[in-house]
Parts: sequence; C-alpha cells; structure tokens
Amino acid sequence: MSIPLVPNLLRAHLAELAAEDKRHDGRGQFQGRDVELEINCLPRAEGSARVRMGDTIVLAGVKFQIMTPYPDRPNEGGLMCSAEVRPVAGRNWEAGPPSAESIELGRVVDRGIRESGCINTEDLCIIPGEKAWQVILDVFAISDDGNLFDAFGLAAIAALRSATVPAERFEVGEDMPLDVSKTPIMCSYHKIGGRFVYDADKREELGGDERIHITLGDDDHVHSLQKGLKGIFTAAEFAEINEQARSRCAELRDLVNNALEGE
Amino acid sequence: MGGYGDVQCIDENGIRLDGRTKDEVRPVSIETGVVPVADGSARIRWGLNDCIAAVYGPMEAHPRKIQRQDRAVLDVRYNMAPFSTTDRIRPGFNRRSREISKVTAEALESVVLTELYPRSKIRVEIEIICAEAGTRCAGITAASVALAHAGIPMTDMVVSVASGKVHDIVVCDLNKEEDNYGEADLPMGILPNTGELVFLQMDGDLSPEQFQEAWDYNMEAAQIIHKEMVRALKGGDE
Repeated sequence: MSIPLVPNLLRAHLAELAAEDKRHDGRGQFQGRDVELEINCLPRAEGSARVRMGDTIVLAGVKFQIMTPYPDRPNEGGLMCSAEVRPVAGRNWEAGPPSAESIELGRVVDRGIRESGCINTEDLCIIPGEKAWQVILDVFAISDDGNLFDAFGLAAIAALRSATVPAERFEVGEDMPLDVSKTPIMCSYHKIGGRFVYDADKREELGGDERIHITLGDDDHVHSLQKGLKGIFTAAEFAEINEQARSRCAELRDLVNNALEGE
Repeated sequence: MGGYGDVQCIDENGIRLDGRTKDEVRPVSIETGVVPVADGSARIRWGLNDCIAAVYGPMEAHPRKIQRQDRAVLDVRYNMAPFSTTDRIRPGFNRRSREISKVTAEALESVVLTELYPRSKIRVEIEIICAEAGTRCAGITAASVALAHAGIPMTDMVVSVASGKVHDIVVCDLNKEEDNYGEADLPMGILPNTGELVFLQMDGDLSPEQFQEAWDYNMEAAQIIHKEMVRALKGGDE
C-alpha cells in the first residue's frame, strides 16, 4: 500500500475533536459503525460470509482440499488462512506482490483463529498418514474505508462456522458441518489525537498514530495481540481498551451466533 | 472445448440444463455503487456469475514511463477470487488473467475518450467473486457500467456476451456445462448503439452457418443486457 501524504490539517483537526471528546463522524469514543453480516453468500465456497462496517466491505470464503498429513503429525489436517487486499479495495492499494500491510493483516487474522483452537486439526484427519482435510480460508477486501482488521476477523470466523466439509464431492464419506468449537473475535483500537478510539475509519487511520488489535475467544481468553505503527501507550490505556474489547467482542459473537441460527 | 463427455447439455425437447431454450440469455441484474470508496463501481450477477468492477481516476500516472502525452492510459486488471470456483484458485496473476486483462483494456480503450485526460491513468479493477462461464464477458460489461458510473466520457458502453455450440446445436449465452463440454465459444464485445465490435475471440469449431447464428444470438443478447445496464445507471423500471 502506498502511504498517501497526510495533511497535517487532518491530524490537527482530529486532535482538536478528540480534545472535546468528539469524532469527525459524530461517533462516541468506543462506538463502532453499524455492522452487517451475511453468511453463505458465495455459491462456490463451502462456507462464506460478507461483512459491511460503514463503507468497509469484505468477503470470506472457505474451500477444502485433500492433503497428505505431515510425517511428524500423521493424524492431523491443516488450516491455512490467507488475506488479500487487491487494488479494487481502494486507491492506495496497489497491484503486485502482497504489501507488508496486507501480509500483517492476514497473519494477525490467522493467529486469532488458529491460536483460539477453534478448529481441532485432528478432526480433519481422514486416513492417518495418508489423507486429511486442508481447510483454506480466504479473506478478500471489496472496499477499504478503514479497520479492515476487524472486518476480516469477523468475516473469517463467520465463514468458518458456516462451512460444510464437502466429503461427497471428494468421495470420502458424507458431507458434514465443519466443527468449529469457539468464536474468536477481533477488536481494534487506534490512537487518534492522543486517545484510543474503537473502529477507526480511513480518515482516522490516516490522521492517527498506533493501533492495537485484540482477539478474544469465548470466556474472554486472549488469543492474539498486535501493536502496529509508531507510537507509545501506557498500561492503563491498554487496560481500558482491553475492558472495552470484552464487551464489544461479546456483542459481535452474538451477531455471529444469530446469523448462523437464522440459516 | 472438451468434447461431449457424459453430460447431456440439451434434452430432447431442446431445453438446456438451466431450463433455458437455445436462444435465451441467463438472468442478468446489475447494480452500481457497490464499492463505496471507488470513483465508480458496478456489480453484475449473470446466471451464477457474480462480478464486481471498480474504477479509480483519472489520476496521476506513475511511474512516469507509463504516461502518454496525448491520452490517458487504462490500467485494467481482471482477477478471479480464490473462492470463485469449485477448485480454489491460488492468488496471483496467471497467464489467463493477464491475457483477459489485456483484451479487456483494449476493448475499453476503444470507447473511452482517453484523449481528454493526457498523462493520466484510469484504473479499472475487475474481480470475479463467483464464476459460471463467461466471466470475461461479465467483467467487460461490469467495467463499462463502472466507467459510466464514474462519469468517464465514452462513445458507448461495451456489452460482452458469448454464444457457442453444444451437441452441434448453437446456443445463446453459454453456461458452465456448455462451456466445459461444448464444441465452440464465441465471446464478442458489442457497442449496442451501432452494432460495432471492440472485442472478439473464438475457439472451437463452427460451420459458416453456425458462426452466423452464434453471431446473431450475441447481437440480440447484447440489446437485452444493454437495457439492464441503462436501468442500473439511470434507475427506473426494468
């Protein structure tokens, strides 16, 4: 991603608003944009989700392949998570090999899902040492108006939870739902004008400083953390956003559960 | 073209696998503004095809060596999302997507008034979200609507559609099975107001009479699809 010139005026404007406890679009400090979640929206994927947060729109699709288990783990399949931000998603995203920003995005989303243990790789074994399922989760940005991290994280877990193992197509048994035992959710906070806000949009990302991504699983267990960009934060600041993340993750987890129940 | 295989694409009553007769187009619906951060965008759903096109620009062309002193350059990318097909597609450019991007750019350059924007670049991004035969046609059609939605001056929009032949019968707007098992595929890019062409490919085997029939099917289909393109841009009834 090419970093556009950031007018100092934008930084100063956002800082002035922050001093008055305001944001440029009128939201409160920890208020997110409206979230739309649609599942099973991609006919060629075995599980899928579409997330819209303001003008940020992403898709996630799950595909399955048969793999040979690794020799040191003959009873396990695999999970691969790949995130792509192609130039369709915004004027500053460029064609070519994945940028550092998009690789970071993919890896942070991957860690949150993988480390929560929501997928038991031993469940993916078909014949020990010979055949196992490889679950491939592709997350794809359609429109980037800020906070792709949270949109990717939400679409990723919703797509996984909606997935069906296509055993009949591969002639290895009957189709069955993919067993996903937990629902890890990511919440991201950006420091803008000296304070952290939740769910920054593109303007806030451009005129802000560091960001912190927190992925919480069921029971508020922490599964991944990432601090990005230049900036310094205190223990007290972290404690505050961690507290905020607990309640927001719970709300978003309910959103995922409700969308799946509606199927 | 893969030969007959075991798949019977048309039954004894002349009905195709998706219920169409040989001269019918798949259902087409188009909407605009689907990529809110882009300068113009469109989504076309055409049968099971689901394609998004976004336009950015005109903007500064860099690096400078790509600039043209007398016109804008069109930077077109066609890409299939990893989850758009039955077997996952590995991300990244391949020979097929590079060729389709090239012919798409050349088709669109034939209608965009690029001379109005010297030394600039117009980016056209085509993403196939779900594929069911005819994705290059869906991409060109969606890109035309996205360019119009972005307010880029054009002499006409390009409507692209592919007819072909299966079991020695010429059929309009090939579906997936017909594309896989049929004997010919004729995609065309048509300017609906004049009947002129800006894009043409063909592979397979057609007699002169069959070629003419497929050609005529494409011309008729283009008028139907063009109505939906105009409706999507101008609103109003279908």
